[in-house]
Amino acid sequence: MSDLSFWAETGQLVRAVGRAMGVTFRNFFRQPVTVQYPTVKRVYPDRFRGILALAYEKDTGEEACIGCRLCELICPPQVIKVEMLKAEKRNFAKTFTLELYSCEFCELCVQVCPTDAIVMLKTFDLATADRREMLLDKDRLHALGLQHEASWATGNRLRDMQAPPRPAKAEARGPGTPGGNADAREPAE
Amino acid sequence: MPPLLQHAITGFIVLNVVIGLVTYVTLLERKFAARMQSRIGPYYVGWPHGWLQPIADALKLMMKEDIVPAAADRWVYNLAPIVFLVPCVLIFATIPFAPGLGVADLNIGVLFFLAVSSLEIVGLFMGGWGSNNKYALLSAMRAVNQIISYDLPFIFAALVPVVLAGSLQMSAIVEAQAGFWFVLYPGLGQLAFVAFLVATLAAENRVPFDILEAESELVAGFRVEYSGMKFALIQLGEYAHMIGTSFLGALLFLGGWLGPGPAWLGPVWFLLKAMAVFLVVTWVRWSFVRIRVDQILAISWKLLLPATLLLLMATALVVALQGARV
Amino acid sequence: MPETQDRQVVEIGYGGSERLVMNMGPQHPSAHGVFRAILTLEGETVVAVDAVIGYLHRCHEKLAETLTYVQYPSIASKTDYVSAMTAELAYVASVEKVGKIDVPRRAQYLRVLAAELQRIASHCLWLGTWCMDMGGALGGGATVFLYAIRERELILDLFEALTGARLLYGFHQVGGVRYDLPAGWAARCRQTLAHIEGRLAEYESMLEDNAFFLVRTQGVGVISRELALDVGVCGPILRGSGVPYDVRRAEPYSSYEDFDVQVPVHAAGDCYARYRVRMAEFRESIRLVRLVLDGLPEGAISSRPGVKSVGQVRIAKGEGYTRIEGARGEVGCYLVADGGAKPYRLKWRGASFSNLAVLPHIIPGHKVADVVAIMGSVDPVFGEVDR
Repeated sequence: MSDLSFWAETGQLVRAVGRAMGVTFRNFFRQPVTVQYPTVKRVYPDRFRGILALAYEKDTGEEACIGCRLCELICPPQVIKVEMLKAEKRNFAKTFTLELYSCEFCELCVQVCPTDAIVMLKTFDLATADRREMLLDKDRLHALGLQHEASWATGNRLRDMQAPPRPAKAEARGPGTPGGNADAREPAE
Repeated sequence: MPPLLQHAITGFIVLNVVIGLVTYVTLLERKFAARMQSRIGPYYVGWPHGWLQPIADALKLMMKEDIVPAAADRWVYNLAPIVFLVPCVLIFATIPFAPGLGVADLNIGVLFFLAVSSLEIVGLFMGGWGSNNKYALLSAMRAVNQIISYDLPFIFAALVPVVLAGSLQMSAIVEAQAGFWFVLYPGLGQLAFVAFLVATLAAENRVPFDILEAESELVAGFRVEYSGMKFALIQLGEYAHMIGTSFLGALLFLGGWLGPGPAWLGPVWFLLKAMAVFLVVTWVRWSFVRIRVDQILAISWKLLLPATLLLLMATALVVALQGARV
Repeated sequence: MPETQDRQVVEIGYGGSERLVMNMGPQHPSAHGVFRAILTLEGETVVAVDAVIGYLHRCHEKLAETLTYVQYPSIASKTDYVSAMTAELAYVASVEKVGKIDVPRRAQYLRVLAAELQRIASHCLWLGTWCMDMGGALGGGATVFLYAIRERELILDLFEALTGARLLYGFHQVGGVRYDLPAGWAARCRQTLAHIEGRLAEYESMLEDNAFFLVRTQGVGVISRELALDVGVCGPILRGSGVPYDVRRAEPYSSYEDFDVQVPVHAAGDCYARYRVRMAEFRESIRLVRLVLDGLPEGAISSRPGVKSVGQVRIAKGEGYTRIEGARGEVGCYLVADGGAKPYRLKWRGASFSNLAVLPHIIPGHKVADVVAIMGSVDPVFGEVDR
């Protein structure tokens, strides 16, 4: 730095100072990037991984969960506890507890669910002063699922994303069934 | 009315106005800085735009617990904020806000201002020493180094308008700028103003010279052990000194209360000019990284002091060659 | 190598009773996480540094023994949480190598895409926090910090649209990746890259010729080539000391051999050189992302698709070490598999752990203010150090 003459160095300093202050000046007139949550909510993407909930089946309106306990098996921090209730045509979950305060939001339970019963919602807003309110039981999970919009990424869609679309099989299953649609994996550009 | 009582009342009014101004200047700085950083700054307290934020901060600081470290040197620790605050507010005594409107328009006004404002270093060092904290001590040592080094260029830069006006009295300096402001004086005015701003930055511990409070190294420097009202006093003192030197800069270089319009508009112009100086200093603060203490001292002793000395001598030469007044 | 094993103490003449032992403790605005540096000072000069780590130890290696190969990748992202994609990649790449599992071409390209975007995001955070350390939370440094975080948020928005999460993704799985690109993502990605390139030019103009920045970084924290090779630093620090070593070129993984990765190198070895290396890496990563988007092949994104992706993977007996180039340097996993669904032993090689070892060699002799500048240019993340 000292290979320049005094005036050249001073000139460089003045220019550098001017440039730096120019950048801050320019940013003064740019729109602030603040999103004033909670008055204004940001648009969440389709696959947003929010809090968990249990869903109902679309056609029959029954609970979608068959109590298979695959989600309990795969959960890394082991926050899900399920008891199966056997019935005539299909099984149900007798109790389903999810400890949301320890949940990692890794979406593995969603990915493994065969009936798209457990879903993640496009909201994360469950702040509370008492941690016990975040120990979600089955009723609470179903209520949450009705209150908020679910993410696009359900179990079948996640699994189908990982293989290239097979048009023959999709038509065999018929349109409108979960997992058989061509939009299960949108094509990249 | 006996003059002592009159001065006491004026002093009381000025003190309150200054404290009110200082609290709202913090809000101004925060909003200004926020806009430069693509964010909004205080907004919700006193919606919109945080008008009550300074009041909220003041209330919070008053209600906070006053924690005194067990091993602190009690008297030094407790007195330090007061010793720091008093000179910082006393400088406002000599500033005339309009012709005849001021506490004491001394005929050695500038000298009094500069002398008293350098007394804050005592309070600063007392705070650093009395805290019995290595971070505070390091900061106090750096502070003494830095402020003493930058007081001299500050004084010389402030003396340039004094030489141009031929008087140390502040109102006389403003009246000497009736023709044109000293900052517009070819060459000498601009250089002196720039030197004044740089020395202000250093004397106020503003980035790029804020090594002594270096939040990322010393975590608030000499203030680290203060909480509650004592911290509020220190903050008040810092910002009061900041505003004081902005007012001085506006008075010495930007023509004080001179401006178009009726005479009662004078203090308003003065305030606007002082805020402009303050905002330029703030703008610099939010644009640069800080430099190390040995580099700060090098700039002061090797660059700024000789430069301001030469500037002062050049000004004296010009004035002597042209006669008494510009 | 006796010098590297002794405690480095610089004698500057004042001697014993003038020394002050100051703790830059685990709670510190510039500790970059939780790092304790016990500094011995004489006046303003640091005479010796004792580094203490371990405040963030979370037993990752033991945890890996209790979780299956399917469950662990989303935990792996928590080691280097600033650069989560590369951390997960290190784990799944080692599992795939030991288990001889193929990864489809499209998945490899998507992994490159994620890793390079993550490198850009990680370097944004580095730039912001480094300038903040040097400039103060209430000074000009915070300005650069907010600008850099503003840009990083754009990349995090991209990742959010891709995986659903912003910081810890769980994007990788054994055999490929979990998520494919949504519609319109590539166009959005290109737009973001163009925007970031423009802003990068702005930051460089703010810092590049700035005398204040240059005096803080040039000649500060010089790591000589010999010292760098002796101590075993990696990543941008190594490349800033003149050694042109990059795992993406030396041992290409995950289809990096298809891209001609340009490795920026600077010989000076000071903080400024490391800064220049990382700024060049920004541009190189942007170029690589564009190449990936242009040449992305069609196909499956995992060799264990659908139900197999959540089924158990059993890796036959074997062991092996796989390394990848993370944002901070070489991240590696040494995996010992015993035929079951869980590893027998997993050892993480954290880039920051090796990089921190150089601090006691280069800090003594500098002033206190330089400690933060040097630490910022070394850019440690303590999830990687303490695991």
